[in-house]
Amino acid sequence: MPEIIDARGLSCPQPVILAKKGIEKHGEIIVLVDDTTALENVRRMGGSSGCKVDVEDPGDGTYKIHLKGRPGEKPEKSAEPTACNCGSSSVSGPTAIVLACDKMGRGNDELGAVLIKSFLHTLVDSASHPDTIILYNTGVKLALAGSDTAPDLKKLEESGARILVCGTCANYFEIKDKISAGTISNMYDIAGTMMTAGKVIMP
Amino acid sequence: MTEKPVYHVILYKSVSRALLSEKILKNAGIPFKLIPVPKNISSDCGVCIRFLPEDRERIEKALSDRVEIDAIRPLL
Repeated sequence: MPEIIDARGLSCPQPVILAKKGIEKHGEIIVLVDDTTALENVRRMGGSSGCKVDVEDPGDGTYKIHLKGRPGEKPEKSAEPTACNCGSSSVSGPTAIVLACDKMGRGNDELGAVLIKSFLHTLVDSASHPDTIILYNTGVKLALAGSDTAPDLKKLEESGARILVCGTCANYFEIKDKISAGTISNMYDIAGTMMTAGKVIMP
Repeated sequence: MTEKPVYHVILYKSVSRALLSEKILKNAGIPFKLIPVPKNISSDCGVCIRFLPEDRERIEKALSDRVEIDAIRPLL
């Protein structure tokens, strides 16, 4: 009996990763998934790894994907193990995070200040960093020397993120000489970055 | 390369207690960082106070009788 891998309820790219590991370990597996995106992604991974792929659709919303490695054929190591079409993440291009305010969300400012601190702290620890972070309006205050958020912005900058601080805004708040992270920028760079980004995130 | 410090966190039953602690510790000039509660501790979207173990005594002193603490745990 082939090993059964239950990937129902898991979101992309988890089913593909599990299936890939399963194939490498057991040679022959049955993967259970419950959505068509996962089905297509696992099927594609199987094909590119040189497996024989059979799909059974019992009609109850669960798909049974039978993957059998062909003897003598090594799974392609070069194939992107997690390459998949996960809806929105199929967009290509750099990621820009826009902090238009020194709070996160609208409604309660005290809470918003806590949330933005948590957000930046989490970004530093997170595996994927944004390519650019844009600060404008009161968002520029997040880069103020001595603020709770400036050290995290600095860390993100050190790890390769470009941080654009709106010069007009820093000037308006008269804090231009107190900005301790990122570079003072202008609307050309800010607009240009947003227009060429694959994804713009405004928390 | 310096070794990564072993932080501790103070957990609270409510966000407002964490915020009150933030104010008190800031006024007392004790170093700390308000961070989201790590996922391995709780899946709640809460916040906690992270600090270095050497500051534990003065932190506890500053907060005693003023803020109700749920627990203090090492951050693994």
